[in-house]
Amino acid sequence: MTTKDFDDRALPPGRIEAPPPSRDLLNAIQGMKPVRTRTRFGALAAVGLVGLVWPALVLTHHAYRPDLGALPLGWVIAAAALWGAAFVMSLTAALVPRRGEVLPAPGRASRVGGVALGGLFAFALAASVQVPGVSLRPEDAHMTLMRSCVHCASFVLEIAVPFLIVGLYALRRLVPMGRARIGLALGAAGGAMGGLVLHFICPFAGTAHVLFGHVGGTILAAVAGAALLPALLRRRR
Amino acid sequence: MLGAAVGSIVAGTPTVYLMTSWSWCVAVESEATEAAEIMGRYCRGDAAAFQRLYALLAPRLLAYLFGLLRDKAAAEDILQATFLKVHEARSTYVMGANPIPWMYTIAHRTCLDEIRKRKRNRVQLTKDGTLLAEPAADLTGVPVEAGQDEAARPDPAATAGALAALHQLPENQREALLLTKVHGRTTAEAAMIAGTTQGAIKQRAHRAYLTLRGMLAKPDGATPLARPAGQAGRARKDRS
Repeated sequence: MTTKDFDDRALPPGRIEAPPPSRDLLNAIQGMKPVRTRTRFGALAAVGLVGLVWPALVLTHHAYRPDLGALPLGWVIAAAALWGAAFVMSLTAALVPRRGEVLPAPGRASRVGGVALGGLFAFALAASVQVPGVSLRPEDAHMTLMRSCVHCASFVLEIAVPFLIVGLYALRRLVPMGRARIGLALGAAGGAMGGLVLHFICPFAGTAHVLFGHVGGTILAAVAGAALLPALLRRRR
Repeated sequence: MLGAAVGSIVAGTPTVYLMTSWSWCVAVESEATEAAEIMGRYCRGDAAAFQRLYALLAPRLLAYLFGLLRDKAAAEDILQATFLKVHEARSTYVMGANPIPWMYTIAHRTCLDEIRKRKRNRVQLTKDGTLLAEPAADLTGVPVEAGQDEAARPDPAATAGALAALHQLPENQREALLLTKVHGRTTAEAAMIAGTTQGAIKQRAHRAYLTLRGMLAKPDGATPLARPAGQAGRARKDRS
């Protein structure tokens, strides 16, 4: 067996004779009507708009954090921009296909979701700000650090759920492959939105609380998305 | 096509065959444009456009499916199922996008489902309890019985050797090789079709090179079935 045996005639896909379309296929084609096709940003707009209703309601009905006025305005804006960017980037990566492609790219989605989570983690670790005497600690509210973190993480998950549900609906026929990675980005986006809401309403500003409660909740939402989306989409088939 | 790819592999210059040819890139680009235009007309309800799309893509999808399944009848069934799925999902198409990787993805997914089903039902019997006869087909997918120009027919020895070598590859390496080298998909497209990362596709294709090189380096007449030392372990690791 030499390489000469693998000549150009060995496997030329262009020369394979495909059978004619089956009767079922031809029946389906006959009498078909024009369909309205998707646009690249349609799913993003739908998921973004529907998913934002719940966080908007929460923001309008909750009291803002007591130290909001005392915190440096630049830091408040920078942190909000980071949470917002993580939300937009992850959601876009999960739902918008690259130009000229039909399906969202799972590899890009998981990369962007991972980078967003890493950025949030680093920011929370290095740049958390609290105003002594104004910012609350969990002990001030008769809570342990653990309990406050669980409370905020579950809040983040609650905010992330609508994004996962609407995203699941938008993606129901779009992700034949790479569902877990798309789910990770979708969950990260929902979690980032939860973190953004908490940035304005959570009274606890300690590094440990933000790291484990807010960013930890976002990571949990991403993991939940990665686990749930493949299972739910498989169930729908 | 495969010959050129494997030839460069054995010569130790796998990159020679990679997308270095400008004309090849232009051809791929024009093919994508043509497919997008046909798909657009198909979505607008033009039945003739479906026939053109079928004529354009059915042979290569069948070749890909045959490469994965090594069963012509099953590959043809999956081809029909793939086009039915495409028809049902045509509303999810994005106008102007290249439909070829999308259709490969659907075919790949349908094929994986078939492979899983086969693993569950390993033995297929006829009603009288005998084994079904496998239809004879060569690598091109054309039945052996079909009359063909003798000169155009692949050399049976080459066909058998190519099949044997390809069959020795682990499933994920074989699909990486078929997608990138035989069907000319880019690494990104192959990654999307196979549902994995570009790095994994590159790694699998590289491992497939090494395995094939080991097999094809054997002297004439030797059956290229033995995997070179060290490859088996690597293949197992890759499969996991």
